[in-house]
Amino acid sequence: MSAVNSTAKRNMTVQKKKTFILCVMSVIALLALCVRVGYLMIGRSEYYTEQAQELHERERDIKAARGRIIDATGTVLADNKTVCTISVIRSQIKEPEKVIAVLSKELGLSEEYVKKQVEKRSSRERIKSNVDKETGDKIRNLDLAGVKVDEDYKRYYPYGELASKVLGFTGGDNQGIIGLEVNYEKYLTGTKGKILTLTDARGIEIDGMGERRREPIAGSDLHVSIDINIQKYATQLAKQAYETKQAKGVSIIVMNVNNGEILAMTDVPEFDLNEPFVLTAEFAGQEETQDTFNQMWRNGCINDTYEPGSTFKIITAAAGLESGAVSLNDNFSCPGFIIVDDRRIRCHKAGGHGAEDFTHAVMNSCNPVFITVGLRIGTQRYYEYFTKFGLRQKTGIDLPGEAATIMHQPDKIGEVELATISFGQSFQITPIRLMATVSGLINGGKVVTPHFGVKAVNEGNATIEEFVYPVSDEIVSEDTTQKLRYVLEQVVENGGGKNGYVEGFRVGGKTATSQTLPRGTGRYIASFLGFAPANDPKIMALAIIDTPQGTYYGGQIAAPVVRQLFENILPYLEERGYY
Amino acid sequence: MAKKQVQIRRSRHNMDYVLLTVVMFLIVFGLLMIYSTSSYESGDLYLKKQAQSTVIGILGLIFMIKLPYKYLQKFDFLAVVVSAVLLLLVLTPLGMERNHARRWIDLKFISFQPAEVAKIGVIVYLASIIQKLESVGKNIIRTPKGIAIVMVPPTIIAALIYVITKNLSSAIIVMGIAVAMLFVAVPDYKWFVAAGGGVLAVAAAVVMYVANADAATASFRLGRVRAWLDPESYSTDKAFQTLQALYAIGSGGIWGKGLGQSMQKMGFLPEAQNDMIFSIICEELGLFGAMAIILLFIILIWSCMVIANKTVDRFGSLLVVGVMAHYAIQVILNIAVVTNTIPNTGITLPFISYGGTATLFLLAEIGIVLNVSKSCK
Repeated sequence: MSAVNSTAKRNMTVQKKKTFILCVMSVIALLALCVRVGYLMIGRSEYYTEQAQELHERERDIKAARGRIIDATGTVLADNKTVCTISVIRSQIKEPEKVIAVLSKELGLSEEYVKKQVEKRSSRERIKSNVDKETGDKIRNLDLAGVKVDEDYKRYYPYGELASKVLGFTGGDNQGIIGLEVNYEKYLTGTKGKILTLTDARGIEIDGMGERRREPIAGSDLHVSIDINIQKYATQLAKQAYETKQAKGVSIIVMNVNNGEILAMTDVPEFDLNEPFVLTAEFAGQEETQDTFNQMWRNGCINDTYEPGSTFKIITAAAGLESGAVSLNDNFSCPGFIIVDDRRIRCHKAGGHGAEDFTHAVMNSCNPVFITVGLRIGTQRYYEYFTKFGLRQKTGIDLPGEAATIMHQPDKIGEVELATISFGQSFQITPIRLMATVSGLINGGKVVTPHFGVKAVNEGNATIEEFVYPVSDEIVSEDTTQKLRYVLEQVVENGGGKNGYVEGFRVGGKTATSQTLPRGTGRYIASFLGFAPANDPKIMALAIIDTPQGTYYGGQIAAPVVRQLFENILPYLEERGYY
Repeated sequence: MAKKQVQIRRSRHNMDYVLLTVVMFLIVFGLLMIYSTSSYESGDLYLKKQAQSTVIGILGLIFMIKLPYKYLQKFDFLAVVVSAVLLLLVLTPLGMERNHARRWIDLKFISFQPAEVAKIGVIVYLASIIQKLESVGKNIIRTPKGIAIVMVPPTIIAALIYVITKNLSSAIIVMGIAVAMLFVAVPDYKWFVAAGGGVLAVAAAVVMYVANADAATASFRLGRVRAWLDPESYSTDKAFQTLQALYAIGSGGIWGKGLGQSMQKMGFLPEAQNDMIFSIICEELGLFGAMAIILLFIILIWSCMVIANKTVDRFGSLLVVGVMAHYAIQVILNIAVVTNTIPNTGITLPFISYGGTATLFLLAEIGIVLNVSKSCK
């Protein structure tokens, strides 16, 4: 028994020691965990705080104001309007009935809809956006708990339809959809600001925790070469022609010959930039498909190609003069037709023009003479000039969707094809392509890049960028330019373009009457390309009337349009120091 | 200082009021934190339930202080049998499922977790059986038969807990308590050192294996190990809770966000009042708050050790050692899990985490310890 007792006593001593060891080991473990906690809460604090912050904060964007589009006179063509977005935060609403009643009344929404939105189990539910500022302010002043009124910007075009196909418009996120709005997106779009609010795991904002803001940066203003007065007048003339001639469409482009700045571009019928998704009268009744809208927004001046017809004789004349294949005094005889291979190609004047020199052939727009000149130049050389004049390339205009030239392959051009090309048929180019090339022929030999964008100016009125555009190498000699200016002035003074004559100004130009494709439908495109002053061209205008009813000759219906335009804008341009 | 006070009191055969004060502080603090962590999601629901459990627990504590602890000596095998029967009852219609885990017995007027009963049952069993073996003959406890008598019943209980309730952590705690009590009862060291070394080696081997294994082939439990090694890669599933806890701890910083200011409790860290409550303590009270809580647990464990070693009675002493081991294991594992020091296994923080049965028995165990402390020299 005593042995048992002594063993028990010894064991008790052992137990005390071991209990102590056990306790000390536990304490060591806990102290080690203290170190671990310390490491997490000091060493890793920054990292985990950041991660947690990211988890807890919900971002709300603050839209940045989009840059405006401003014309050459300083008039704002595209602006921003303050609108409001009304939303509700379910968890903060105190009087749901009142909120539903007020919002449905002020916003003109059905009570059921508002009730459904208010009662949705979400952190923040948008009730209506694009609410005008007045209504937004009114709702804000009612100070209803849980109702949030956020100010926002909406694109606004003060002149509605004006230059609609050039300016373009923006979509729901204020991003450009067509036109300059797309092309200069990166300058116009600003940098979004952010409101960071603390929310719980479900995204419900936590009261009284404040918010962090990062202010938005407004986009840069785009200064364009459009002159609103010229644009307005060009549009008015185009509309007039569109109505009186019951045409399919009328385009007018006005461009600076020497630097490619476009002062006006209209393609009637235009559409209202403030309502781009409402079909215009021309499209009324059609299905509201993307395709229909694309048709409505299409800019014929750059998105579509056509057979230029007689205006293209300027190019044949330039190639002939430059290559020496013809001189102004060369004599020709026009019997009213010409035989090429086995084809008989008629002149537009049934009896023929008889004996005429080249100057008069241009004035008469005589097809057989131009065919003769074209054949003298020869296929290969003609194709070389065609290429050199930039006609196979796009102009590089600062609008999206420029159409490419449709031209024969060089090995497919026979005599007949060459003959038709010589007077502007059997290939297609865009109107802007024709203008760019002709500008190079008459301005002394350099093809310019047609464009609208002049410079981008930021909020602080500092110029971010002045846009520069490429100019081609010399395509014709000064001599050829001088001769072209002379004959084209003769066309207006005494030839087929006399309806383009403007009292007191020297105007040069060329008319065209081309058949639309496919042929034989009796539909025509009448056009006139004019420039002034004829001896030192500054300004060029092209008017194209697509499918006019009644008289369809370019000299009779398109030339007067340019004349009226020039009558008004030339004095104005003089005033503005353009000359 | 605590020690001095303890000595003065003990000489008058008073119970250990320092221990009682620490526990009361932890209990009140626990209620506060339960309200703080759960009120955003559930209002005062959890606070009310926990307050009820605490009241019952305090009654249990008083009962255990009044009941002469030597009375427990009679429950050696009975304690184990009762624990085992209760565990088996989980399989009967009396068993109840909560949060996808079948761990409760529902007696209509009260429901509880048998695993928590088993922990105290094992402590009582081991304390009395070791004491009895000792009084029977010399060193029987060191023979294979003696070790079997001591260790087999707790092993069976742990196995039942694991198999029936799928509660790995409670099984680990039961085994840990048993090993700790055996460790203090026998004079040997080498077996324990060898066993400890073996466990560490196996753990290291598993970690190595998992770290190099293909993610697709790792099983569920091994997946936990992977999530432990690289929580950010498992942020949406296995390591979700751990990572959220780390966000809470890390974002607390030195000073904390202030009581009630936790962001993580707002639905980011699910069931923040349960296993992961320590992370919210870190977030709200900062490093100092966290250290203060750990320090209170150190005082708690240390007080138990002092009481165990001042007790002449072997049985009483062993009871206190068992309770001490229980607290120590649970606190260490909980904080280690919350800080991602070891792979995640659901262990609650004694006196602070939400849980009715646990609170009742933890307080009852404190009652036993205080009871023993009355008879100290």
